[in-house]
Amino acid sequence: MSRSKQDTLAIIAGCRTPFARAGTDLKRASAADLASHVFREVLDRSAIDPASIDEVILGCGGPDAGEANVARVAALRAGIPEAVPAVTVMRNCASGMEALFAAEMRLRAGEGDVFVVGGAESMSNFPLMFNRRATDWFASLARARSLPQRLSRIAAFRPGFLKPRVAILEGLRDPISGLIMGQTAENVARRFGISRAEQDEFALESHHRATGALERGRFADEIAPVPVAPKFDRFITDDNGIRKEQNAEALAKLRPVFDKKNGDVTVGNSCQVTDGAAAMLVMSEARAEEFGLEPLALVRGHSRAALDPAYMGLGPVHATPDALRRAGIGFDSVDLFEINEAFAAQVLGCVRAFESDEYCREHVGLPGAIGSIDPAKLNVNGGAIALGHPIAATGTRIALTLAEELRAQRKRYGVATLCIGGGQGQAMVLEAA
Amino acid sequence: MSSTATKDTVKQAAESNPEGEGVVVLERIGDGITILRLGAADEGMITLTEQRLDSIDRAADQLAQDDTLRGVVVTGPGPGMFAAGADIRMIENVATPQEGAEGAARGRSIFGKLGALKVPVVAAVDGPCLGGALELCLALDYRIAADNAGTQIGLPEVKLGIVPGFGGTQRLTRLVGLPKALDMILQGKILRAKPAWKRGVVDRIVPAEKLLAIAIETVREFADKGSKGPTRKLRGMDRWLTHSPLRAIVERKVRKTLSAGQARFYEAPKRALELCLDAVRLPVERGFEREASVTGDLIVSKTCKGLLNLYFLTERSKRLGKSDDARSIDRALVLGGGVMGAGIAGSMVNKGILVRLCDLLPENLLGAKKRLQKTLDKKLRRRHLKKHEARAVQDRLAVSSEWGLLAQTDMLLEAVPEVLDLKRKIFAEAVERGLSDDAIIATNTSSLSIDAMSEGLPNRERVVGVHFFNPPEKMPLVEVIRGSHTSDAAVATACKLAVRLGKFPVVVKDCAGFLVNRCLAPYMNEAARLMVEGNSPEFIDQVMLDFGFPMGPARLLDEVGYDVANKVSEVLAEAFTDRMTPSPFFAAMVEAGCLGMKKDGGLYDKSGDKAGPGRAVLTALRSTRGGVDRLATRSEVHQRLVYPMIAEAYRILEEGLVNSAEDLDLGLVFGIGFPPFTGGITKYAEREGIDIVVEALTAMAEQHGNRFAPPRSLVEQRD
Repeated sequence: MSRSKQDTLAIIAGCRTPFARAGTDLKRASAADLASHVFREVLDRSAIDPASIDEVILGCGGPDAGEANVARVAALRAGIPEAVPAVTVMRNCASGMEALFAAEMRLRAGEGDVFVVGGAESMSNFPLMFNRRATDWFASLARARSLPQRLSRIAAFRPGFLKPRVAILEGLRDPISGLIMGQTAENVARRFGISRAEQDEFALESHHRATGALERGRFADEIAPVPVAPKFDRFITDDNGIRKEQNAEALAKLRPVFDKKNGDVTVGNSCQVTDGAAAMLVMSEARAEEFGLEPLALVRGHSRAALDPAYMGLGPVHATPDALRRAGIGFDSVDLFEINEAFAAQVLGCVRAFESDEYCREHVGLPGAIGSIDPAKLNVNGGAIALGHPIAATGTRIALTLAEELRAQRKRYGVATLCIGGGQGQAMVLEAA
Repeated sequence: MSSTATKDTVKQAAESNPEGEGVVVLERIGDGITILRLGAADEGMITLTEQRLDSIDRAADQLAQDDTLRGVVVTGPGPGMFAAGADIRMIENVATPQEGAEGAARGRSIFGKLGALKVPVVAAVDGPCLGGALELCLALDYRIAADNAGTQIGLPEVKLGIVPGFGGTQRLTRLVGLPKALDMILQGKILRAKPAWKRGVVDRIVPAEKLLAIAIETVREFADKGSKGPTRKLRGMDRWLTHSPLRAIVERKVRKTLSAGQARFYEAPKRALELCLDAVRLPVERGFEREASVTGDLIVSKTCKGLLNLYFLTERSKRLGKSDDARSIDRALVLGGGVMGAGIAGSMVNKGILVRLCDLLPENLLGAKKRLQKTLDKKLRRRHLKKHEARAVQDRLAVSSEWGLLAQTDMLLEAVPEVLDLKRKIFAEAVERGLSDDAIIATNTSSLSIDAMSEGLPNRERVVGVHFFNPPEKMPLVEVIRGSHTSDAAVATACKLAVRLGKFPVVVKDCAGFLVNRCLAPYMNEAARLMVEGNSPEFIDQVMLDFGFPMGPARLLDEVGYDVANKVSEVLAEAFTDRMTPSPFFAAMVEAGCLGMKKDGGLYDKSGDKAGPGRAVLTALRSTRGGVDRLATRSEVHQRLVYPMIAEAYRILEEGLVNSAEDLDLGLVFGIGFPPFTGGITKYAEREGIDIVVEALTAMAEQHGNRFAPPRSLVEQRD
């Protein structure tokens, strides 16, 4: 299926912050701090008139209470004119890809054709919250007027009020199945018989590939170094989750965290909890021609799909076929894959499911297997196990890194896809421009 | 009462005003309440001219005879304007102390008459309310101000070398107490609505849109109660520090600051202190009399004339930014993150410009962010800024080693090292990166030629010099350098930018050293020579401090740095071989590794109090002269330092590098701190007597060398 240039979304330019493990280099930066930095960079680098932007669309899984529509806050702080609207979108782990998708939908609906999109997450700043009882107590204290009333409310304080709700833990638990994300990965591992050794090997490879990419300077262009406020005593220039010295022995020593007795999923073969943001300038292919801008890649297909939340890790298998169909290409035409590495078990599970007649027939509703993925084409610069997974930023990052890799390798088609907590998958087909 | 109705009535009133322009407008709104507007709606800036004062006088008489009158609101001609104080020309034209004192007494009694009406009289202020305008308000029963950014409230008279003469010192001190009154009057502070309200200068602040309605309502309430307005009493500290012997503490503290540093050259703040004290210790009428007589004394003083001239110069300079040709700069690329680049970028983001600052060294980029944060932290501590506002300023400054693309950039400003080829390369690259044809290319060079820099560049008419001084955040002057190809639009845009950054632009044609450094060079050179001849740096500095410079030449050299001084003096020596041969002192300092404050100190040590490592260099140079000292007298030092500077300034005018003597006056006061009370260097020369200056220069040329030879234009000007 081919679309007109007016209906085709082109990726013009993009950049990201370095990805930093939560609680480290970027811990003082909020999601809006990170997002405004990449917005400003992407505009300064591409030099389009910011007034020509039709909308700013930012994915964010957990905006701070003080910047609920973080897209708007970040857009204004980046110097984007007041008259440009901004929306924050949220589809858990795929929020950053959802932003691209939302832009494409607006484009096709004829509601604008130039967008700044992205994803930003400050997992360091996911809050600790007061529990229900404490909240009620504060409310009753605030209502107490007279001194005796106040004293009696103060006397009603109990130590249990101090037990916080941890937003990040609650966010990573699926409220329908009751499972923590890592437990869904254990499910996938068991479903396909993926061993601990296989998972660790995949994790090790992710670090190796990321180390290689870092040393080749592959990330230098996409990373916009961040001067760290408020002291500005250093620039953060590199991702800090990549472990050059990672080895199989060290990984093997780690204890499983989600199923302590019988599990295989460890912190070593899961993605890291990370802060970061990524942004892109996207517009219709027609508009890019008009501006005389050379796109990096064109979005050819796009889809979302959903499945059992307990097996959310297999989302990419469900989403990819439709995206390919819409792009009008076969699985074999795909030169490069980016499957977000939520867990090694989950990526390996996807690879198995793609090539499983049984899974594709029974769960995806296809006549047979979709196809095999050559490991040499998959996550060639490493993935979230090494770089980290700042929830909403990842969707934008993998689309950007895929677009750049297609260009670098002079390849044509690529698929970027993510699994999504809650039992969904999202996928996107890019064609090098 | 709707606002449109108000406007219509004003218009009618203005049209039917038999007295014509420049007078107040009375407008009866029914219910016994009259609005007194200080001018007609189409007048623009309102000042208190003699004509307007007369018309206030007549209006007060007319109102006093109106038996049906229940209250009066005094307000400006319309939104955003109250009155900008007494007419400056009126001040300038006063010839004798007697005339000044009478004028002051007259204004004060007119305001007093209006305030003494039997009905409540309330001021409704939106926009500037300065000097005489505030004194008018202080004479009334109640003051309401619009809480917006345009409202300016203050008594800035001391900045013109006079004191508030229309009753301000007496009335303000009685209203808000001694400490607060002194704080406002002695520094000529201009306050926004909220701080003015906090200090009790205004009684209430309200949204601008509701100002008039609330003022009318307030008058009505007072009238209903049959009162003139609330009675006030000083409370707490203000009362103790005003009415008890404790005020001696305030007095002592203020006297100390008024005798230190440059404050000693200014009479007005000292006299204002006495007047504020009089307000507490004398009956009000006696206080008023003294105020008038002090005003009369000061208004004819040389200092007042000098400061008035300076005021005209700054207004003239600000107008340079208003040309129709001038573009507004919204986005700028600043190249070079050293002290100058970082400081300029910081000033820009403070005024709302989006800046990308590029440098190859990350530490320079971080330095720029840090430097900006430091200034913001200071403002946060003083509550001049709110947290989110400070963050917005910091947000506007992007720092990177990458330029990005430049199609949206309105101005490229380079502050990279002074290497011609580097600058040319940068300009060429900017064009390659899509800098649009109408974007301005600005250079902060202090020694290179604009024409040489722009050679071979397409659209070279947009290359213009914008020479900031160090530190750029603080120094008020910007030399806008016009190359022989530079367009009027580029010059106008650079001026507009300077004004937006709160600076005073002065336009100078491309020449070695431009205006300021070229005039400074003979001064610095001669100071070095005097020191090599055996005069101590302390002595030379003291002579110049006593003249009124903020800093002596030896200390200034330490601040500028000997590397810079050496380089600049070489450039100038090349251009002006007959008179600017540099003293060997600069090169010797560089050779000895003595760079000044930026390193281990120079003539003074790092703390600035004691002798520094540079003295050894000086001693060594003196010994090459055979150790024979030639000690100069104070007046010799003065003439050898200041007169060559005058000569050079007139040469610049003679060569047509600046448009007028005013440019010289402004440039040297704000560029190097030439004593402001003189009114500028040419005013000073005229005051000294051109013939005396020429004679002294001629004599010095005979004695010390041809470098002192007076310029032709100065000789011709001699009577």
